[in-house]
Amino acid sequence: MARYAMLIDLRKCVGCQACAVACDKEWDVPLGFARTHVQPTGVVGSFPKLASGFHVAHCNQCERPSCVAACPTGATHQSPDGIVRIDRGLCIGCGYCVEACPYDARYINPVINQADKCDFCAARLQRGLQPACVATCTAHAKYFGDLEDSNGEVFRMVYERGARRLQTAQVAVGPNVYYLGKKQDVDLVFAKFPPRAPRMAASSEFWSRLLKPLVLAAVGATFLGQAVAFFYQLATGEPDHESQEKT
Amino acid sequence: MAAPTIAQTPRPLTAAETDALSQRQVKKHDVAIMLLHWFNAIVWLVELATGPALLTSSFRVAPWWYIQIVQGFFHSRANMLQFHIAVGITWIVVFVVYGTFGFRTYLKKEVLQREISLDGNDIQWLKIRILRLLGRSTEPLPPQGIYNAGQKLLALMVYAMVPVVMITGLIMTFHLIGTAAVGWAAAIHFAAVGAVVCGLIIHVYMGAVFPEEKPAFFSMITGTVNELYAYTNHFKWWKEVSRVRVEILHEFGPEGAATVSPGAPQKQGKPAEREKHQ
Amino acid sequence: MGVKVTRREFVKLSAGAGAALGVGRALAGEAPPRPGWRGSQRVEQIATNCEMCFWRCGILAEVADGKVVRITGNPDHPLTHGRLCGRGNAGTELLYDPDRLKYPLLRTGKRGEGKFERITWERALDYFAKRLSELKAQYGPESVALFPHGVASAFFGTLMKAYGSPNHAEPSFAQCRGPRDVGYALTFGRDLGSPEPLDLEQAKLIVLIGSHIGENVFTSQVTAFAEALSRGAKLIVVDPRFSTSAAKADWWLPIRPGTDIALLLAWMNVLIAENGYDEEYIEKYASGFPELQAHVRGFTPEWAEAITELPAADIRETARAMAEAKPAVLLHPGRHTSWYGDDTQRARAMAILTALTGSWGRRGGIFLPTAFKTGKLSLPPFPKSQRGRADGAGTRFPFASEEQGVTNGLVDATLTGKPYPIKGWIIYGQNVLESIPQRQRTLAVMEQLDFIAVVDLMPMEQINYADLVLPEATYLERYDLPHIVTGARRPFLAVRQPAVEPLHESKPGWWIAKEMARRLGLEAYFPWKTPDEHLQALIEPMGINADLLRTRGAVAFEGRPYLEDRLPEDGPLFPTASGKIELHSSSLKEAGFDPLPRYTPVANPPIGYFRLLDGRTPLHSFARTQNNSLLDSLTAENELWINARAAHDLGLRDSQRVVLENQDGVKSLPIKLRATEGIRRDCVYMVHGFGNTSKQLRRAYGRGASDTGLMTRVQVDPIMGGTGMRVNFVRVLRGEG
Repeated sequence: MARYAMLIDLRKCVGCQACAVACDKEWDVPLGFARTHVQPTGVVGSFPKLASGFHVAHCNQCERPSCVAACPTGATHQSPDGIVRIDRGLCIGCGYCVEACPYDARYINPVINQADKCDFCAARLQRGLQPACVATCTAHAKYFGDLEDSNGEVFRMVYERGARRLQTAQVAVGPNVYYLGKKQDVDLVFAKFPPRAPRMAASSEFWSRLLKPLVLAAVGATFLGQAVAFFYQLATGEPDHESQEKT
Repeated sequence: MAAPTIAQTPRPLTAAETDALSQRQVKKHDVAIMLLHWFNAIVWLVELATGPALLTSSFRVAPWWYIQIVQGFFHSRANMLQFHIAVGITWIVVFVVYGTFGFRTYLKKEVLQREISLDGNDIQWLKIRILRLLGRSTEPLPPQGIYNAGQKLLALMVYAMVPVVMITGLIMTFHLIGTAAVGWAAAIHFAAVGAVVCGLIIHVYMGAVFPEEKPAFFSMITGTVNELYAYTNHFKWWKEVSRVRVEILHEFGPEGAATVSPGAPQKQGKPAEREKHQ
Repeated sequence: MGVKVTRREFVKLSAGAGAALGVGRALAGEAPPRPGWRGSQRVEQIATNCEMCFWRCGILAEVADGKVVRITGNPDHPLTHGRLCGRGNAGTELLYDPDRLKYPLLRTGKRGEGKFERITWERALDYFAKRLSELKAQYGPESVALFPHGVASAFFGTLMKAYGSPNHAEPSFAQCRGPRDVGYALTFGRDLGSPEPLDLEQAKLIVLIGSHIGENVFTSQVTAFAEALSRGAKLIVVDPRFSTSAAKADWWLPIRPGTDIALLLAWMNVLIAENGYDEEYIEKYASGFPELQAHVRGFTPEWAEAITELPAADIRETARAMAEAKPAVLLHPGRHTSWYGDDTQRARAMAILTALTGSWGRRGGIFLPTAFKTGKLSLPPFPKSQRGRADGAGTRFPFASEEQGVTNGLVDATLTGKPYPIKGWIIYGQNVLESIPQRQRTLAVMEQLDFIAVVDLMPMEQINYADLVLPEATYLERYDLPHIVTGARRPFLAVRQPAVEPLHESKPGWWIAKEMARRLGLEAYFPWKTPDEHLQALIEPMGINADLLRTRGAVAFEGRPYLEDRLPEDGPLFPTASGKIELHSSSLKEAGFDPLPRYTPVANPPIGYFRLLDGRTPLHSFARTQNNSLLDSLTAENELWINARAAHDLGLRDSQRVVLENQDGVKSLPIKLRATEGIRRDCVYMVHGFGNTSKQLRRAYGRGASDTGLMTRVQVDPIMGGTGMRVNFVRVLRGEG
């Protein structure tokens, strides 16, 4: 259908955070929380051989999203266009997905008590608009497009100009946000903000690893036991407990 | 008229006694209790039908085809969850209202005295049943109250688990306490329900499948069991009922006694007052 | 990316230069509907422009049920094309800020106490008129000075001119762009104004001197800058600090603060010595080249190395890069240029260099303005002042702009009573305690004045010294003068129109000024009844369809920004006295100043002290936005940049709280330390605008530290009165002070 992706040109990005503010306003993100983060690397090196840059970070709509596997209700799911969405009628705000995201792109919104994250402004896409961050970016450093459109700008930037995505050998979830720039600049940002291993919330682990097998075993055993008793009773015809003792 | 003798201990009955007892009905359950029971049954049926269909990924316990069917029925998973929550909240509200207003009249006696208090007889009963299962005992079972020890254990477990199911359900629905609490509530909700399901397997078998307990099953619809059943399986209760019957007989005479049911909860008060209410 | 004005459309819109279509149609009074959607909610999109800073990017205010629910960029805007910075996106938080000034206030306690009585507009305006009449009668109209800033200041300017006072001054001149504008005007005959007419996009080489694009965010400037870089433009950044721009630079020159003129002279030296300058251009358009050549002969890169602490090889290499890239060399003229007191001369040096690379009026260089005829209101003549101005513009400061004024000159005059007593101040949209250095003097003056009136949006500290405080409506609630930009490839006119009714009892500036005028018997100077009439009068000769203007937000025209495009009606190419680019300035010489820029040494910081430098951050404008809940949540305070080794030597750790004490013993509020390799050892840097001292700004109060508070010393530029503020030194003390 489509494979939506974003590209951030680090040669152009100045870390002005217009994207973060636009995103906050577009989606009523409560103060203190964010769908989009702009993180400075800070100045590295030794005077005067220095470097610095910015990491524009939000959900990567991964090809193999670890958050989808973590969700107990299926609220977090991926649509055919690649966007990982959150079904607002299904999310209970348990937070398992927040732990599972290697990019820490999710948060629990305290106003709606549900998980929230960037969804490439899916509602705006439906109206033929660009994502809010892309439209507002002062440096014109963000690009959005369909990686299945070989004529598209993003396609060319990814496949012809060697854009890179933020993955490691340990965390290879197939993010669909790409970065372009001078090799050392992209290296710096990637080195400063690597993805972490997906985590399971303690309750999630307890549930899927211990409680679920335990409950299944208990229910199964009870059912089996009861079935055995049933057939035994059928076979013997014996009343299960005394009615009387005949004199 | 001379008061009929009441057996103090269960003893073998004559054919005539057996016959007489099997003809007479004794009231076991109030209407309120029966309604509540079936309400509960429907709730659990419906919730158990939808709950497992909601679980996906590494938490899934239902087969895929089942989930598809239920999902299809509701048109969306979100509808399924909303339904599950709606029924759950209704369930909680009914219980809370019932418990608040009906506690003294119905629940206090029903729950505290009949359903969950284990005495020496109950423990003995349990011991003997377990030994019998292992083929190591042929002792007679001690007399039981209106509910036998097995039924009491189920009740205990249900009373322990149901509040957990309710509270965890509320925590999840209203995101109470915090996100971590919701995460744990989901896991514990699942486990508590699982425990009740084990109990339900036995309960439903005992109630609906096991032939010996047929009178008990029907008593949940009619409200009464025949006296023979009561005498045989729940002697201590039958004894109490008989005592009351003798009392009533003594007080009201045979004609009056017919209007008073020995199994019904008795109004407190002096005999003189009771006369007035006639 | 929105609807561009096509060739066909613009012909429809503008009936060509000078032809009046007689567009007599009455404006509806409200913007024609431009419906849109936000989620499943229908919204009305009002095209207007932003005022979170002064760039005035085009915006769409989305309104539903009388509330602004979202602000986005206006894709139809000819300069910003729908892009909008973080502050612009957060305009709703200004509109609905609970700390906003809401109703007129009359001071009841002592000056500085902050005790007010809420009064009606009727009473407030009557009181204002009464006081002004009294002051006029007692001391003459010149005794009242206006401190304006911002877009509606034109209305207050008209009011005060009609009243008879020539005394008005905006801080954007003497505290900011003034030295630059005077320096370039002396050279090319034109100043630069705002937005600066820069052809950044097509530049092959961009040179930034003390300009930190990316931290200083003006939307379209960032877009053009970034676009140039992605097209392969090279970048030279001259800055003692490793700024965001420096991180993108091909050459970062960490220059010793105060020595920029030496570097500029050395670059001129190399360009001339190696014939790397645009000979043809200079031959054709400039005068004074032989004098310049002789002047810079001795200013070699080696000479400059000793002064600037930049390797001579780098100076030579960067000069050669300019020679290579000319004429598409964009030497950014800077904006805030009041640094050391010799700033006009530094601007002159930059202008000369711009001329040497042949960039003025060329692609990749500086645009020439394409003026278009706007209508004029017919007003009675303004009274002529007998006593003249008090701020020194044109006299003490011979080249200072009389249109913009010298704020510190007015403070001086009020303090000294010379040339004559000033008894009243009217402050509109200017934060005098933060924008003018030596705030202790300003405070002393304010305590002595007979009358102070403040018209503002937010309760800055200065309101506690005012007798009368009047709440203005924000840019989202009012009409203002249209925004006219002439120095662009596509010059344009953009409207500002209200998206919602003014909240609380706030009123638009035009209304306040008009009501004041009426009570002072000056209504003849405000002959228009409604803003519509005012706008109509201005756009009348341009043949603009007013409805289209209000729906789209702006109307653009074809520009003639390059020398080769100019028409006779554009006037002389270089409106100097000689009609040529004046490399050697005879005007300066006649006035007794150096006709060619000279490097004058700046004092080194005393042992244990650092030079205090200041700058910007993308999410804040000066000291205006710190109370904005959204912007504050992302950038709550400023930090002190200090060299990591210098910090280590002082026993200070990164992120620790420190207090700054300047050479005069003035202490700052605590500020967080940022120990970094990215700044020289001899200076420290902080963002301007924090350390707010107004308790009524509940979010902003006390957050971070104020640089203005530490600027107790200034070096006044004798040419135009600018206050060089980078002449303060601080030492860094541990802890909370």
